[in-house]
Amino acid sequence: MLTLLDQLDQGTLWRSPGGIHPPQEKSLSNTTAIARLALAQQYLVPVPQVGESCTLSVKVGDRVLKGTPLTQGTSLQHLPVHAPTSGTVIAIEPRPSNHASALPVNTCVIAADGQDSWCPLQPSDPAELSQQQILDKVRSAGIAGLGGAAFPSHIKLNPVSEIELVIINGVECEPYITSDDRLMREHSDDILAGIAIIHKLVQPQRIVIAIEDNKPEAAEAMTQAIGRSQLPVGSTRVTVIPTKYPSGGEKQLIQIITGKEVPAGAIPAQLGVLVHNVGTAYAIQAAVLQGQPLVERVVTVTGQSIGRPGNYWVPIGTPVTHLLEASGSTAFAGQKIIVGGPMMGHALPQTQVPVLKGTNCILAPGAAELATEVEEKACIRCGECAQACPAQLLPQQLFWHAKAEEYDKAAGFNLKDCIECGCCSYVCPSDIPLVEYYRVAKSALRQAAEDKLQAERAKQRFEARLQRLEEEKLAREAKAKEAAERRKASMSPKDKDAVAAAMARIQAKKAATETAAVSPDAQATEAAGGNKSAAVAAAVARAKAKKAQQAQTDSPAAVRTEVQTEVQTEVQPAAADDKQAKIAAAVARAKAKKAQQAQADSPAAVQTEVQAEVQTRVQTEVQPAAADDKQAKIAAAVARAKAKKAQQAQADNPAAVQIEAPTEVQTRVQTEVQPAAADDKQARIAAAVARAKAKKAQQAQTDNPAAMRTEVQNEVQTEVQPAAADDKQARIAAAVAKAKAKKAASAAKQDKE
Amino acid sequence: MAFKIASSPHVSRNLHTATVMQRVILCLLPGLVVQCVFFGWGTLIQVMLAIAVALGSEAAVMKLRRRNPAAALGDNSAMLTAVLLGVAIPPLAPWWLIVIGTVFAIVIVKQLYGGLGHNLFNPAMAAYVLLLISYPVQMTSWVAPSTVAQQAPDLLASLQAIFGSLASSELKLYSLGIDGVSMATPLDTLKTDLALGLTSSESLSKPIFDGSTGVGWFWVNLAYLAGGLVLLKLKAIRWQISTGILVALFVCASVGWMLGPDNHASPLLHLFSGATMLAAFFIATDPVTAATSNRGRFLFGALIGMLVYFIRTFGGYPDAFAFAVLLANLCAPFIDYYVRPRTYGHRAGS
Repeated sequence: MLTLLDQLDQGTLWRSPGGIHPPQEKSLSNTTAIARLALAQQYLVPVPQVGESCTLSVKVGDRVLKGTPLTQGTSLQHLPVHAPTSGTVIAIEPRPSNHASALPVNTCVIAADGQDSWCPLQPSDPAELSQQQILDKVRSAGIAGLGGAAFPSHIKLNPVSEIELVIINGVECEPYITSDDRLMREHSDDILAGIAIIHKLVQPQRIVIAIEDNKPEAAEAMTQAIGRSQLPVGSTRVTVIPTKYPSGGEKQLIQIITGKEVPAGAIPAQLGVLVHNVGTAYAIQAAVLQGQPLVERVVTVTGQSIGRPGNYWVPIGTPVTHLLEASGSTAFAGQKIIVGGPMMGHALPQTQVPVLKGTNCILAPGAAELATEVEEKACIRCGECAQACPAQLLPQQLFWHAKAEEYDKAAGFNLKDCIECGCCSYVCPSDIPLVEYYRVAKSALRQAAEDKLQAERAKQRFEARLQRLEEEKLAREAKAKEAAERRKASMSPKDKDAVAAAMARIQAKKAATETAAVSPDAQATEAAGGNKSAAVAAAVARAKAKKAQQAQTDSPAAVRTEVQTEVQTEVQPAAADDKQAKIAAAVARAKAKKAQQAQADSPAAVQTEVQAEVQTRVQTEVQPAAADDKQAKIAAAVARAKAKKAQQAQADNPAAVQIEAPTEVQTRVQTEVQPAAADDKQARIAAAVARAKAKKAQQAQTDNPAAMRTEVQNEVQTEVQPAAADDKQARIAAAVAKAKAKKAASAAKQDKE
Repeated sequence: MAFKIASSPHVSRNLHTATVMQRVILCLLPGLVVQCVFFGWGTLIQVMLAIAVALGSEAAVMKLRRRNPAAALGDNSAMLTAVLLGVAIPPLAPWWLIVIGTVFAIVIVKQLYGGLGHNLFNPAMAAYVLLLISYPVQMTSWVAPSTVAQQAPDLLASLQAIFGSLASSELKLYSLGIDGVSMATPLDTLKTDLALGLTSSESLSKPIFDGSTGVGWFWVNLAYLAGGLVLLKLKAIRWQISTGILVALFVCASVGWMLGPDNHASPLLHLFSGATMLAAFFIATDPVTAATSNRGRFLFGALIGMLVYFIRTFGGYPDAFAFAVLLANLCAPFIDYYVRPRTYGHRAGS
């Protein structure tokens, strides 16, 4: 069993799945040496180019030299940008960005003075520098990954875990780009010097320079340079890998060289692997050895629309327009100008945008050079996309779900592992822009995740606020209590009396006004001595109460009703020695019943319940006084029957409990009134009235689905009547009541039907 | 100067659906030629008729759907369906048979499901099953191979037979062997003989067999195999489905043959009879109705191979590819759901 190091030394290659072989167009640009173009008049350096939170260190009108830092920042992510040439800062304002959207970003515009003079540089010998000093140099030189991703190099060069293997990526698998190829051919020794610095920093066991087999000259140059370098013998080798796109992708290259896969959501350092581009190695060397910040890079300018295709040293910030003009472009409006290669590059809507640190190629294809715009056709599920996918995804399934906007399902097919290499779109026989669908789906998923996060934060904020308010309230109350106690303690007994008297006065006043408002009926009942007048007064009172209740049914403030009934019931005990008083009580109860009915429709059923309880308590208090033994027994029997019925009803309909409670009370009122009043004519009349009202109530309730209650009520009524049966009139009354109950029942039936 | 914006990649392989379909049709030609050699002009006439009907109905449906008929006809998929159905039905079957089948395949099975890429079933096979169940007599009357036939139909006779101006007695002549016995397909003959209590070696001694495989059918299958290998080479199809079918069929047939050589057909007969090679390389590989992942495709193929063996051996039909393919079509979404490749950087099963 060979160890990984043995296999690395033997140059063992592993298979990377998928991939494609697009036509190679490298010879268009790799035959000439890297050249320099004339200086542009203006350079556009976007300020927060890589990393965040930085401040400008220049202002409009400042004169800068080549290499003068334009920004400074303290965060770890921050990478300074430098003036690419000497000149004057003429504006710092939003300018179109080097992006498919061309969205404006803050840009430092430098007018070149044509002298291109460097700021003072500090060459150094890495052997004399500590690791931290080297890292600082790399950072202050603003070095970012030059392969395209432009990740700050000083972070990658300072890994937290041990690095076994450093891969120097010279694969350059995009079919048009040759900047790394030319750099390796012409500057192999400088790249090796950069690699030596990387070796010093991360101390890997092996360094593998990976180059595709379509660049034999570069591989040869690098192999020879290794022999000349100061790197430990046997630590570094060139491994030539077969040409296949996208072998230059970091994950794919690691798979080819080591056979390992970077776990999903992790970084290569977790495997003990670090990948750097050859261009980055070159830039590290320039920064450490010569003290040069990253102000220029090699850019491939190619395509059939370019008069002199080739590789050029291009200052960062050079407008693409200048690059095209200087290389003899014949690009026409409406064609594509691509930044990067044809597989992964983005098209520019306009060319007044700068070359960035990650810009390795400007491609201006001829009219018939690249794929023409074609209509998307139906997917025939041929699965060629899955064959080509280097991430082993099922692009076709992703496509179905992305197209149907079922983004969660697309995520279930590991959409986030898509590296957007474009192999699936390349092979698709139906010309479906698969990668575009995935980009849309990915951004939708990102957006959804962002929204979710924000909602979660808002919820936390809201809850925190509620808690804070609650705490503040409690604190306030405690403080008030404390203050009151302090005041009390400091008050003299006399003061206390005065306060108590004042409080009593206020309460009395309140009570008086309330009674005046609601109790005319009670007062009338009390005042009326004779039977007749009492009945009249009761009728008047009923009418008034009815009106008041009607008004109240509209208002949700059921509390007032409660007050009213309480007042009423309070009045009654006083009159309880009199028969009339009983009548009045019956009337009042009937009214209360009505009020309850009205309230039954309102959701505040709890209140109704409370009220009913109050009422019954009053009644039971009144009754014992009035009832002799027999009647009491009957009442008890009735009550039992009711309780039974109520239980039954409740068993069937647990939700009805609340509404039922008042009804029960109501029926009790009726039945109790009857025996008590049975010896008196008027009492009987009152009973009849009460029954009539009960009937009405039932009718009203028939609209209610809980018809069981009506039944209970009916039965109760009929049960009660025998008690009154010693009297003829009572029998008549009973018959009438029965007839009414019957009517009510039939009405209820009809309503139901 | 404003430039054009487009999403990457900006290049694409110049291999379009129409080209793929065209290649499949071209690779069918050797098999078609051999079929004509052994069974007369009938097959060619059926194919031509099917193509005409298929293109006509495809255009009509596209017109009804207010789509561009030229685009649909240009993808060659209707033509491929027509050719597959044309070579699958008996050479001298009456004209209306292929017309009904083709219209059903294009209009019902393909377009009513949403057109190319959306059909659940293989159109040619669904149509074949419809015809087989609805017109069993016409669908099982094969012509005797010309080398052993009493009388081989020429072009005129084929046309007359197909378009119904030939007396049925004359028509019957073409299905007679040298010995004057009516000749069914080799698989049908073997099935009937085994049911009659003959051993397979006794059955194989009949003139329709050349000792181990059916006369003519062996060469037909060989021609389709050759065409299929070219398709593989062109990467118009991938190897998983075809291999799955052939391996499963071979394994099942071998097991059966080893257990009972007297009442089972040999693996060779299974592989080179009936529609085996045609189905393995041209029919089951229809990507629209097959599974999509590599492993899923192999399973899909293996399922077809097993179903074919079991229907041929234990079922009521001598050949079974149409049924097997349709049943596997039904399983394709299921296979796709459960058989997924392991994504880069993920552990198996996640």
